[in-house]
Amino acid sequence: MPMDAVEPDTPPPAATDDAPRVINTDDGAKDGLAKCARCGATEISLNVATGNLRCGFCRFEWSTDNAIEAFNLNGDISALAGLLVGSGSSDIVPSTEEILTFKCSACGAEVVIDTNTSTQARCHWCRNTLSMNQQVPNGAVPDMILPFKVEKSTAVEKIAHFVGKRKFFAHPTFRAEFNAENVMGVYLPYMVVDINAHAKLSGQGEHQTRSYTVKVGDSTQQRYDADLYNVAREFDIHVNDLTVESSSDRLDQNTAVNSNNIINTIMPFDVENSVRYDSNYLAGFTSERRDSNLDQLAPLAHTQAEDITRHRVNDTLKFYDRGVRWAAEEVDVRGQRWVSAYLPVWLYSYQQRKSNGKTFLHYVAVNARTGETMGSIPLHQSKLLLVSGIVQLVGTVIGLVLVAVGI
Amino acid sequence: MLNLTLLAVESGQILAAGSSDDDSGGLGLVFLLSGFVFYSAIYFRYRNTDKRHGHESETEATMVNMQEHDEFVKARKGLSNRRMSGANNTAVRGASNKFSAGIMSKFKL
Repeated sequence: MPMDAVEPDTPPPAATDDAPRVINTDDGAKDGLAKCARCGATEISLNVATGNLRCGFCRFEWSTDNAIEAFNLNGDISALAGLLVGSGSSDIVPSTEEILTFKCSACGAEVVIDTNTSTQARCHWCRNTLSMNQQVPNGAVPDMILPFKVEKSTAVEKIAHFVGKRKFFAHPTFRAEFNAENVMGVYLPYMVVDINAHAKLSGQGEHQTRSYTVKVGDSTQQRYDADLYNVAREFDIHVNDLTVESSSDRLDQNTAVNSNNIINTIMPFDVENSVRYDSNYLAGFTSERRDSNLDQLAPLAHTQAEDITRHRVNDTLKFYDRGVRWAAEEVDVRGQRWVSAYLPVWLYSYQQRKSNGKTFLHYVAVNARTGETMGSIPLHQSKLLLVSGIVQLVGTVIGLVLVAVGI
Repeated sequence: MLNLTLLAVESGQILAAGSSDDDSGGLGLVFLLSGFVFYSAIYFRYRNTDKRHGHESETEATMVNMQEHDEFVKARKGLSNRRMSGANNTAVRGASNKFSAGIMSKFKL
């Protein structure tokens, strides 16, 4: 094996101050009536086909700045040092209200916005739409938003197709009640993380040199010869757009009690196409508020960065075809950049009521950028057990015959 | 029910591994577990409890300034496992869906 050593570049300076530096992402953001620049209407929503915001009255369309460019989030990851956070990712202050009241500047009425599900509300008197775009420390307004790109009709087709291929063993109540048209567009909260780290891994690896069979009693068994090596790798790793859920509900992925893993599965998103936050992107959709702080999410993100490091370094370990056993793994995070984002998901949900009185929420989810679809379909257990029993009976007969003849 | 599924999956894996080392009666034993294997296959197809985002492979990352050290230690003969004992270079520890990460690492290792 060749010995290969490359002189590393000078590492970025370590952060001298533990306090995070903040990127202000709501400069110029205003709460209240957001009006069409051409006609002054507040009926503004996303045109999914173009990705632009569109006035519902005069059909005027405009785009919002790309958030990555506007906040310089595509800067060199190797230059990252210390902790850099978007202002929309700041810690949630528990005393901050979730239900906020705004005064409608068109008619003076008081309008309530429930930030748990949206950052917009319609004035009940004058019917204008009020938007909340300024960040308050309750996790409702993120640093950026990735608009829906997959149309509802496409999502309905994908969900219907996914479920259609899984109907035979589906629970009869689900089959009777399923209607893909009930899909909802939801912006879910995530943290997008860039990490600059230095990694040192050491251990042992094995390379197979021979494979052969030996006779043991009446049977033959496979045996292997291998060369054992001490292996070490040291390098810098730049992780780009690592995405983690920032809702405590979604982070709980115990598949015995929920199907949140379905929503996790449809990642990744093309977060590089996110735009500056504008509540008008939420019109016609719902949203879920971030309720987890960076301190709670950092251990998960760092463990995932270690996984990425361990898997990426396998590119240099192809010689060790029997695997590598790392005895020591050090991934030293030198710099990290966190921004919060709303990412778009088409979500079909079905609450299954079980015979024991418990309920289970099944999801079929479509990534509203890539169209990736995944779902959990309630099973007709008695039917599946019956068919499995029949398969077992037939298999047992065939198996006994095969064992008897020694196959 | 989850334990039953796990048992079936792991049993199938053990049998499959066994059949590669010792080719007598392996296929017959697989048939003897056909009901469990069928149940597991349908369960996973419908419920997808084994699915998760593959952050370890689906996240963009670049390595720079690589320093490699590889030193021959010794030759080992007559090993019975196809994979190195204790190999952990494909381990995943940061998956929120622990069930999925556990199953996948069992199949990889």
